[in-house]
Amino acid sequence: MSAPSSRLLFDEPGPRARRRIRVATTLSVLAGIVLVALALRQFADNGQMAADRWRPYGTWPMWRYLLEGLWSTLQAAAVSIAIAAAAGVVLALGRVSPSRWLRIPPAAYVEIVRTIPALLLVYIVLFALPRYGVDLPLFWKLVVPLSVSNAAAFAEIFRAGIRSVERGQLEAGLALGLTRGRAMRTVVLPQAARRVLPSLVSQSAGLLKDTSLGYVVSYAELLYSGKVLANFNHLLIQTYLVIALIYLVINASLAKLARTLEARQRNRPSRAARTAVAAAVPTAATDAGNS
Amino acid sequence: MVRTSARKRWAVPVAVAALSLAGLTACSDGDSGSSVPGAAGGGKQDDLIAAAPVAANLPAGSTMEKIKKRGQLVIGGSLDAPLLSQQNPGTKKVEGLDADFGRLLAKYIIGKPEVKIVNSASETREALLSNGTVDVVFQTYSITPERAKQVAFAGPYYSSGLVIATKKDKTGIAAPADLKGKTVIAGANTPAIAAIKKVAPDAKIVTFGTDPECVQALKQGRGDAYVQDEALLLATAKQDPTVKIQGKPFTSDPYGIGLKHGDTQMKQFVNDWLKQIQASGLWAKTWKNSIGTVVEGEAPQPPALGSAPGSE
Amino acid sequence: MNVITDHLSEFGDGLLLTVELTLLSLAGALVAGIVVAAMRVSPVRVLRAAGMAYVEVLQNIPLLVWLVIAVFGLPEIGVIAGLFTTSVVVIVLYQGAYTAEAIRSGINAVPAGQGEAARALGLTFTQSLRLVVLPQALRTVVQPLGNIAIMTLMNTALAAAVGVVELTSAANRVNLAEAKPIWIFVTAGLAYMALSGLLGLTTGVLERKWAILR
Repeated sequence: MSAPSSRLLFDEPGPRARRRIRVATTLSVLAGIVLVALALRQFADNGQMAADRWRPYGTWPMWRYLLEGLWSTLQAAAVSIAIAAAAGVVLALGRVSPSRWLRIPPAAYVEIVRTIPALLLVYIVLFALPRYGVDLPLFWKLVVPLSVSNAAAFAEIFRAGIRSVERGQLEAGLALGLTRGRAMRTVVLPQAARRVLPSLVSQSAGLLKDTSLGYVVSYAELLYSGKVLANFNHLLIQTYLVIALIYLVINASLAKLARTLEARQRNRPSRAARTAVAAAVPTAATDAGNS
Repeated sequence: MVRTSARKRWAVPVAVAALSLAGLTACSDGDSGSSVPGAAGGGKQDDLIAAAPVAANLPAGSTMEKIKKRGQLVIGGSLDAPLLSQQNPGTKKVEGLDADFGRLLAKYIIGKPEVKIVNSASETREALLSNGTVDVVFQTYSITPERAKQVAFAGPYYSSGLVIATKKDKTGIAAPADLKGKTVIAGANTPAIAAIKKVAPDAKIVTFGTDPECVQALKQGRGDAYVQDEALLLATAKQDPTVKIQGKPFTSDPYGIGLKHGDTQMKQFVNDWLKQIQASGLWAKTWKNSIGTVVEGEAPQPPALGSAPGSE
Repeated sequence: MNVITDHLSEFGDGLLLTVELTLLSLAGALVAGIVVAAMRVSPVRVLRAAGMAYVEVLQNIPLLVWLVIAVFGLPEIGVIAGLFTTSVVVIVLYQGAYTAEAIRSGINAVPAGQGEAARALGLTFTQSLRLVVLPQALRTVVQPLGNIAIMTLMNTALAAAVGVVELTSAANRVNLAEAKPIWIFVTAGLAYMALSGLLGLTTGVLERKWAILR
């Protein structure tokens, strides 16, 4: 979407504008190089560039350990996404139901949960529940709070999707003699899910980032593995930089997937689909104002 | 070009369901614990294990018998406590004093050093023991009368304490009283926080998640001093010449082996085992193998069993 | 309930720090977001690329990792700042990426004729952005920015992991001393809900006053 939009604010540059653009390009590139060089020099002066501080990350055992951490991250993320998405569908169906009594609890859930930090939910599962005899395995200590908090976001995405499906679709289903539930399930939901797929993918990428709270839970996901590793080899900064790189690669791929899906969707003629997507990206669209 | 066919319409929900199934099956075999085959790994640990005793007979119906039948001792412990219970990323083996004692106890009960270490946050250990998730806790578990209301303690098997570390060139902090009004670094959720508040109520406490983070923070001047368990700081000071330990430990933390509350039979059994390995010199060898690698001299005298309030 | 009243000063200090973190981060993220969004629509290709790289890199690494890297890494490149300052800067840069994306979508929603008209009047790129496009763009994205504000409030809790004793960290510390987790964490949760409510109300008021629906 950047190519057409940037045309909005400037014309095809003429000779003078081109010269000025060249000057601006040179200056910003130079400034960038100088900043990076200064930072690297100071970094090296502090001994952080020394080869033996980086060499461990050229060896397989270190990478194997981190990749195992990454695998745990992906597992925790996959399970959390599945639970949060399933709960999100249920909550969203509740919010669009004709019965007020079915609408209120999901609305309350969404409004409450999205205003409580995930870290606080983690602390509750970690410190409060064991006092009442509920001590979950580490995996679930991470997955439960993440699912609880992301279910609200998924619900809002699905609701935006359901709303974007033309009313006629539901009415046509009812006219064919389907029950309301069946019409929702077989007619509206499949279309809604397809339309919000890009938002679902980007919310999932966000959830993947949230699994870094495993660091607090001591579930051996990627960041916690880095913590164990740094304890072992005392290479704190190098370890965290390598971990940041791994997150970057994984999440950038997910973001690219979301963009590809979005582009595919934009090629389709439905206008409603576009508005649904616009409403749900980048964060889940919510109606904080009218609550 | 993308036409919505009836079959394709369900692609998304089906994919979500498949993903969830994949996730659920995957997590069932690779969850919280990290299985540590005791036989794997190198030299010194093997010597220790080879010399370790095996119990002659286990009382019928006892917890120990159940553990033997299962063929594995489930230990509540850490993966990130250097010298005590630290996972080696290369071998995946957990190394250190607590880890070694855990394997020795496993051999005593089962005949083989088969252990599974369940990584546990320190606040949840009582719950883990009482609901039977773990058999024993080996995790710098200080014996206190309050905790003894919820768990049974065998031991103490080791006595440690908190010490103060500063940057090498720092002067004016030699004793706990000197921490008054200073910025003091401590590990998040460690006993050091309460101990600092006791000796210097007006000190400003800054907490970080891990020991290396605390050390880095000390070196970068984010605090005047760092209070941590002696064993950990000894290792740091040995490895990093810019960090210096000031004075002697100012607290006494007798580490116990956490057991299910009320299991006096097992407590007696574990205490008997401790007595045996202390008498045979195995205790001292285990110490040499871990903390002894950073502390000069001979192994200290192990604390007397039942000496700490809460372990009677 | 007297766990709370006994530790009112701890909770108060934590709450104050959370409010300060949030307000500073919001102000900073708005500025960072406008600058980066402007870069992304500028005629200079290097700036467009830099803006895009900024958003990609910032959004795709967890905030917790950024905080740890900044707190322990920045002193190694000669930038030494306190924990609070470092946390604010990191949250500003991180939320700045999200804010930039929201503002950019607002810029895209401004009809092309507006930009053309501005250029026809002889306005330069900066002038047409500042005087014509941005004011309209910002008004169309009041609601998304409100959501980002609530997300910022949620994310300030992560500063607890790098030693800033804000509300979550304060609650955790009180719990360590008192071991009454339910009361303590519920109180903290209610405080967050109240703060979010205030942010939501503010967004609602601004929305009614300014919003242009497209």
